[in-house]
Amino acid sequence: MLLESLEAHCFRNLSGRVSWGAGLNIIYGDNGQGKTNWLEAIYLLATSKSFRTQKPQEAVRFDEELAVVRGRVARSEQVHRDLQVAIQNNIKTLSINGKRESVARYLGQLHVVAFTADELEVVRGAPEARRKFLDRGIVSMQHAYVQTLSDYQRVVRQKNRLLQDAADAELSAAELAARLAPWNEQLVALSAAIHRARADYVERVNAVLERRLFGREEVSVRYVSSLEGKGDLSDYETLIAERLQFRMQAEMSAGYSLIGPHRDELEVLFDGRDIRSFGSSGQQRSALIILDLAAIAVYHSWHNEYPVFLLDDVDAELDRKRINQLLEYLEGRTQTFVTTSKENLVEQYAARAEIFEVREGIAELLAAPDGRISTSSKDASSI
Amino acid sequence: MLDYAEPVTKLIDEFKRLPGVGQKSAQRLAFHILRMPEQDVARFVAAMEEVKRKIVFCTVCNNLTDVDPCRYCSSTSRDRSIICVVEEPYNLVAVEKTRGYHGLYHVLHGSLSPIRGMSPDDLRLQNLLPRLRPENNDGIEVREVILATNPNTEGEATASYISRLLKPLGVRVTRIAMGMPVGSDLEYVDEVTMDKAMANRHEM
Ligand SMILES: [Zn+2]
Repeated sequence: MLLESLEAHCFRNLSGRVSWGAGLNIIYGDNGQGKTNWLEAIYLLATSKSFRTQKPQEAVRFDEELAVVRGRVARSEQVHRDLQVAIQNNIKTLSINGKRESVARYLGQLHVVAFTADELEVVRGAPEARRKFLDRGIVSMQHAYVQTLSDYQRVVRQKNRLLQDAADAELSAAELAARLAPWNEQLVALSAAIHRARADYVERVNAVLERRLFGREEVSVRYVSSLEGKGDLSDYETLIAERLQFRMQAEMSAGYSLIGPHRDELEVLFDGRDIRSFGSSGQQRSALIILDLAAIAVYHSWHNEYPVFLLDDVDAELDRKRINQLLEYLEGRTQTFVTTSKENLVEQYAARAEIFEVREGIAELLAAPDGRISTSSKDASSI
Repeated sequence: MLDYAEPVTKLIDEFKRLPGVGQKSAQRLAFHILRMPEQDVARFVAAMEEVKRKIVFCTVCNNLTDVDPCRYCSSTSRDRSIICVVEEPYNLVAVEKTRGYHGLYHVLHGSLSPIRGMSPDDLRLQNLLPRLRPENNDGIEVREVILATNPNTEGEATASYISRLLKPLGVRVTRIAMGMPVGSDLEYVDEVTMDKAMANRHEM
């Protein structure tokens, strides 16, 4: 898929319309001019979310009520879709080809894989970030999984509240067990669906992992179910049902849910050692890039098209050698958007990329591989 | 000092107690009332008072009714051997509109949700089990209970809880199916619904 153009009104400091290149797009500018805002706008158009804030209204320009991000996506040579996200009163409205759509229908029209400072949590943060990495990948292949996840979270919240309140309510153990049963029953079915989807996804990731992209060290991943070592994982339903029964007393004393895939882990190993504890900051970044590339490859093998790849502040995250190896790998594969404040990166790639300079929110095409050069953003948008 | 005269403020505050009504809507409604002819206001007030005075819960099925037992429970033409359990009175109306169901109902007035403080004790369940005894049902044995709670996690939990209560009594307990909306093309059905419909497919 290809993001052909993007238009922004009152979204942060952005304005104007930009036509992007089909390969590498370098968005260059001094800090504070708005280069990451363009990346954020692309991310918003794809996911309906921001990678910087949970509150949509924060992205609306000060003193304005309505922010609009609009983009044209090419799914094939013949099929183009106009996507739009409007933010008003902290509420987002999504539309495809001018017609309002539900989130469920909207998502998937433009798929992005984004390497941002936040995403580094996957290789250095708590297990939750790694579970989210898995779940994002699964959703990109199977949208109905969003519902499975949200139902699961809902059931766990309900069960936690039940366990928490049980102490005060002075329920007998039998009565509490009777009240837990309807939630545990759903927990078994939803957990099994999540377990199978995650195990399958990790298998796919391992099949396409470019283990040695950046050198001799080898990156690998392993899905560690929270029930590993507790019994036969191939009959997950029976196993988790048994564990829930066996650990009911422990859950009652703890006052919250102890069993289920909300305690799963994805091990990321660098030369066989846990990247989170033993990896240097550079190794962690390399590993995350390799994971992102695997997510891209899995997506491609499933949909037979590439997602869009976003890399924020590339030279703050990677050294030059790795940047070159990465961009070389991506060439001919994804449409890629990279932000940088380094002029020498721009010079190095001037002949192979569309270069945009961002000043006060306006992106101006400086150079393009086909020689199209413009002096104002207005001209750039008319192509 | 109050923004508005005391009677207006009082009315706005009353509107704000209603579900889904915030300050702005409450103001708009209050000023609308101020502009209404007096007899319209009187009719509105009378309608609210009447509904409180006349509408009660049916002692058999908990449906809202102006006669007790309600019209469904006292009807001689309905099939007394089937009871359909729903969460809210408006769910009963939805089932009734199909004109395809002729059994009795049982209204729970809610669903299980620890987060919202809804435990089994807060559902109107106490009078369900006694209904299954023929002596409480015009001598007729109940052979099936249909659980028509909502297709979300709370509705599922409620259905599961009730089925565990009823199964030991030997009555047949069924759950309404989830899946495709009729009259639409497959291509317009969202993936979650499609997924559920595939999971709940049946033999032909
Ligand atoms: Zn009744």
